[in-house]
Amino acid sequence: MENIVLKIPYGMRDFLPDEAKEKRLIENKIAELFSKWGYKEVVTPTMEYLDTLMFGANRADESRLIKFVAKDNRTIALRHEMTTPIARLAAMRFKDSPLPLKLSYISGVYRNAEIQKGRQCEFYQAGVELIGSQSAAADAEIIALAVYGILAAGIKNFKVSIGRVDFVKGIMEQYRIPSDVAENLQQVMERRNLVEYEKIIDSLEISAEGKAALKEIPYLKGNGEILNRARNMALNEQSRYAIERLTEVYSILEAYEVSEYISFDLGILRDMNYYTGVVFEAYTAGLGFPLCGGGRYDRLLSDFGRPLPAIGFAIGIERILLAKEREGNSDKDKSTGIYIAYAEGKLKEAIAKAKELRLAGKIICLALQAENEEQAKLYGGENGFDEVVYLK
Amino acid sequence: MQDNDLEYLTIALPKGKLFSLSAQLLKKVGYDAENLSEKSRKLVISNEEKKIRFIITKTADVPTYVEYGAADIGVIGKDVLLESEKDVYELLDLGFGACHLMMAVPKDRKRAKLSDYAHTRVATKFPHIAEEFFTRQGMQMEYVKLNGSIELGPIVGLSESIVDIVETGATLKENRLEEIARIMDLTARLIANRVSFRLKFDRIEALVRDLKKILQDAP
Repeated sequence: MENIVLKIPYGMRDFLPDEAKEKRLIENKIAELFSKWGYKEVVTPTMEYLDTLMFGANRADESRLIKFVAKDNRTIALRHEMTTPIARLAAMRFKDSPLPLKLSYISGVYRNAEIQKGRQCEFYQAGVELIGSQSAAADAEIIALAVYGILAAGIKNFKVSIGRVDFVKGIMEQYRIPSDVAENLQQVMERRNLVEYEKIIDSLEISAEGKAALKEIPYLKGNGEILNRARNMALNEQSRYAIERLTEVYSILEAYEVSEYISFDLGILRDMNYYTGVVFEAYTAGLGFPLCGGGRYDRLLSDFGRPLPAIGFAIGIERILLAKEREGNSDKDKSTGIYIAYAEGKLKEAIAKAKELRLAGKIICLALQAENEEQAKLYGGENGFDEVVYLK
Repeated sequence: MQDNDLEYLTIALPKGKLFSLSAQLLKKVGYDAENLSEKSRKLVISNEEKKIRFIITKTADVPTYVEYGAADIGVIGKDVLLESEKDVYELLDLGFGACHLMMAVPKDRKRAKLSDYAHTRVATKFPHIAEEFFTRQGMQMEYVKLNGSIELGPIVGLSESIVDIVETGATLKENRLEEIARIMDLTARLIANRVSFRLKFDRIEALVRDLKKILQDAP
């Protein structure tokens, strides 16, 4: 019996006190920020019907969902992100609410995938959804809030890359790429296979100028001036609109005083396929994966019967924790508080003292039996308490 | 180390036949370091002046180093890249290390058509790619994962066929095996971490541009 080993399922993890404390601290700071910006927190069930997650424009990759069969014999799945559950809420529960809806969440989500750095099968996300506004001000508010969210979490060095999915689509339309080829090209780009991407372009029967423009898309990265280069390439309404809109959003972001964190990446395509307009990701050096990702999804809600534009983002809590550790600025608050010990018959006095100090904001650990002063000092020192108070 | 992280470009190179070809090509565009050798005892070889770090790893580990961002870019064979299914940017076909992936069977026990091998055992280092191929052919197979000397499989009765990389075909001939299906052509690729490709974009873009020029000029 002495050799029992209790494992936890693949992709799950425990947070021990130090980690749990830091996680809670970060979540509290982000929650406070979201609330100050007028985003109200919602909590949705961990499980949804598979049909809900596989509905319409947002078809989750079914192989990545963790599924089981419910009592009513329908398949249920653990939520793989929070955008779909919130879209369901907006369509079903907030039918008569005034718009825009501003909702936030801090939740665990689940993906049946290979473990990555800062991402187990269960991981935590903090995010917002802004539903019912199509404006550039809405785009900018969400991107600015993402920047402030990452700053509030304590990350100092990071960049948010912004692009638009309609720019890529517009350029492909402009050179009359057949829709099946265009879709293939986007998928290849999404898989980040630029070798295959260029190979497909080379096989197309379009002008040399068109080929050069398409090949340039993944390399359109940089600060504001990249928009000028992109503007010269944009010859149809869709691609030009994408650039004008990005320029407008950028000027609003300057007013938010976050432009130093912003760069552009017109080849950006996010893994979720429901995005329609602006998309963005945040990166920090030394962490090989994005800290945060988001974008506009104007069609998802219409599939749920309520045609409303929407935009949102999610920050990966574990990735923030990892990045902070890398930056060497973890908020690991080592203080363990005060140990209150007491002589025989002094317990009631000690309880009153503990109450007084707790009210003053101190962390108090009260002894559970009487001991002599020497024992108390020894115990307090061994267990790393900041201070020992002994009642004689 | 964090302060330097953004300044340095870390390159993962695989041990083995791709190493010297990669090092030579990178040298042509100014990416080299003193004592850059496969046999070096040092695991990280730096060029402080040019702010480059090389790490030399086992072939199959290159995509992992790059996916996690421990290396910003790397050179790796397409076969290993495909099999690893890692989330990295595939930036450039470097042209060298050309070989192909194929299915081979013992000459004296050859069956009439490919589909006659359905439900048999195939020995391979690349079960994912092999499965993708056979599924497309409408075939179900039993995959026996081996890590080397794949040709041995059919000889000792471990499998009916093999899926493996072939350069010249000499090994096949020696072991009395015959290629019956060509699965894909393979070359070495330049790969990049998805975050590095943004945060160190100017450097990586310049490197890709220089390499493209050299590859185009090559006969």
